[in-house]
Amino acid sequence: MVFLNGSNFTEATLVKRSLETFFGIGPKVSQGIMAKFHIHPWAKVGSLKNATVMDLTAELSNMKIENDLRREVQDNIRRLKDMGTYRGRRHAMGLPVRGQRTRTQITTARRLNKVERGGQGQTRL
Amino acid sequence: MPPSICLRNFSRLSIDAAAHSSSASRLLHPRAAFFSTSSTRYATVAAKRKGSVLPPKKGVKSLNTKKSKKAAADAGKRPAQGERKAQRKRIVLSNNNALEVSSLKDLGKENVLSEQNEGKVMGIPGDTVDALRDVEAFKTTQGWSLFRRPAVLMRKEAVQLARLFKEVEDSAAGQQKRTIRRILSGDRKSGKSTLLLQGLTMGFLREWFVINLPEAQDIVSAHTEYAPLPDSQPTQYTQDEYTANLLQQIQKANGAFLLETKLSTTPNLPIPLPETATLKELVALGQANPEASWPVFVALWNELSQPGRPPILLAVDGLSHAMRNSEYLSADVKPVHAHDLTLIRHFIDHLSGAKKLPNGGLVLGSTSQSNSPKAAALDYSIEVAEARQKSPDDIPQWNPYKSVDARVMESLKDLHTDNKNFDVIKVGGLTKEEARAIMEYYAESGLLRHTVNDGFVTEKWSLAGMGNIGELERTSVRLRI
Repeated sequence: MVFLNGSNFTEATLVKRSLETFFGIGPKVSQGIMAKFHIHPWAKVGSLKNATVMDLTAELSNMKIENDLRREVQDNIRRLKDMGTYRGRRHAMGLPVRGQRTRTQITTARRLNKVERGGQGQTRL
Repeated sequence: MPPSICLRNFSRLSIDAAAHSSSASRLLHPRAAFFSTSSTRYATVAAKRKGSVLPPKKGVKSLNTKKSKKAAADAGKRPAQGERKAQRKRIVLSNNNALEVSSLKDLGKENVLSEQNEGKVMGIPGDTVDALRDVEAFKTTQGWSLFRRPAVLMRKEAVQLARLFKEVEDSAAGQQKRTIRRILSGDRKSGKSTLLLQGLTMGFLREWFVINLPEAQDIVSAHTEYAPLPDSQPTQYTQDEYTANLLQQIQKANGAFLLETKLSTTPNLPIPLPETATLKELVALGQANPEASWPVFVALWNELSQPGRPPILLAVDGLSHAMRNSEYLSADVKPVHAHDLTLIRHFIDHLSGAKKLPNGGLVLGSTSQSNSPKAAALDYSIEVAEARQKSPDDIPQWNPYKSVDARVMESLKDLHTDNKNFDVIKVGGLTKEEARAIMEYYAESGLLRHTVNDGFVTEKWSLAGMGNIGELERTSVRLRI
């Protein structure tokens, strides 16, 4: 098991995949991080040197990911709501925010548009 | 199928009916009614078929379109890790069912460069086969597994290659040691990789120092570790794991020379090495410590550059992969050009003539037609070189609307000039005599069941697109098996 920014990964996990488990890291960002530390795209977590793991952890701890990012998103939505804007209200009601029709097909909005957007996050060790 | 009456009589002859298989026992049962088949036929219709499905009960849902939650039944044992890849990459070099060809002569140190071999099929001796296998010169796509043992046709291009070996060896006595560079190009299945293998065979038999990069794609496809080379401007990248593996191949293939040669310089290595070490120990150091593999490779190269060392054969297959951006990314997320990878750069420096082989030698690069990404500058340079050989008045022009890879163009600029040391070997079709020689070899191996006469050779030669050797093998051997 390799310990990366508060999370454990089995040695056979791809570095790319393990980075992308963090909220706020997608394909583009993970590619950037891996290029920065010269990790090839198919590298497994187990093959990383200790120094690289430390570097990665340091890099991740300086980034706005996971709960910090969730909080920022939620704060933005809460600000809209507190100002009493239409967008804030739509968020609070779980309805489309940007003028889409609501007659059908609003499941995505129902799922995502809430004040506590992004959820609580999974508990990490 | 024999008439059933015969079978029935036959079965009555049998002493023990139970010994028959199930199909025979079915024929045994209607023994009572062999004058007429009608009663048995009605009987089988009336009999309830075993395993037939009952109609569904009332109230039970019979249509079930939902996928079952249970996983599908276990389809046997899954292959162990790496097993499938090993299967895929397996190289089979002999076929016990093929006949031994009695007239087959082996290549040897004396006769390998002889021009008398032209148009003959020659066997590769066992230890050279081992060395070739170590440097991964055999490809899975080649038909080695069809024959009793590996043998090659010394076609005119191979003899041309042998002549180059001789030129280099002749120049070894003089002051000016020659470095000859060649690119092998040609149609798909025309035998470029096999010609490269023949070159390697010559190198091994003439006791040259052979370094083969088996597939350029493996180096640039970003499947192995990479790291920036310290103090390099612009940044170059080393591939420790790959280089360590390459050192291992070098050590296996050139073991005898490495074992008997002692260090003559003091290499600058991150790991201490005794002064009196042999080159084999140096290489073993690089294998054991991948992080030191590149310095070890450089040290080995310095050793080989000392006077009195053998000529060097540098070879690479799949050249166009080395002539474009690699899949690696630099720290600022820009693609790394293949020429910035140290191993490729080392090869390209010698191919382009930027560096010379101090003890002389040969640099061979083979293109591929089945696995080659676009490398416009390489293709154009090869076209120009071929046109220069054929019709020097009609040289193709670069299409100005194509974006040019300046680094590749720069490294291949000698192809555009009248440089004797850098040229293209066009691997074309076989002549009919060569085709006849190889087809006689097929026939003697028992793989071609036909008299090899002029008409037959001409037919197959034409079917194979004017003697394309891969197609010739396909039409005359593979399609029959």
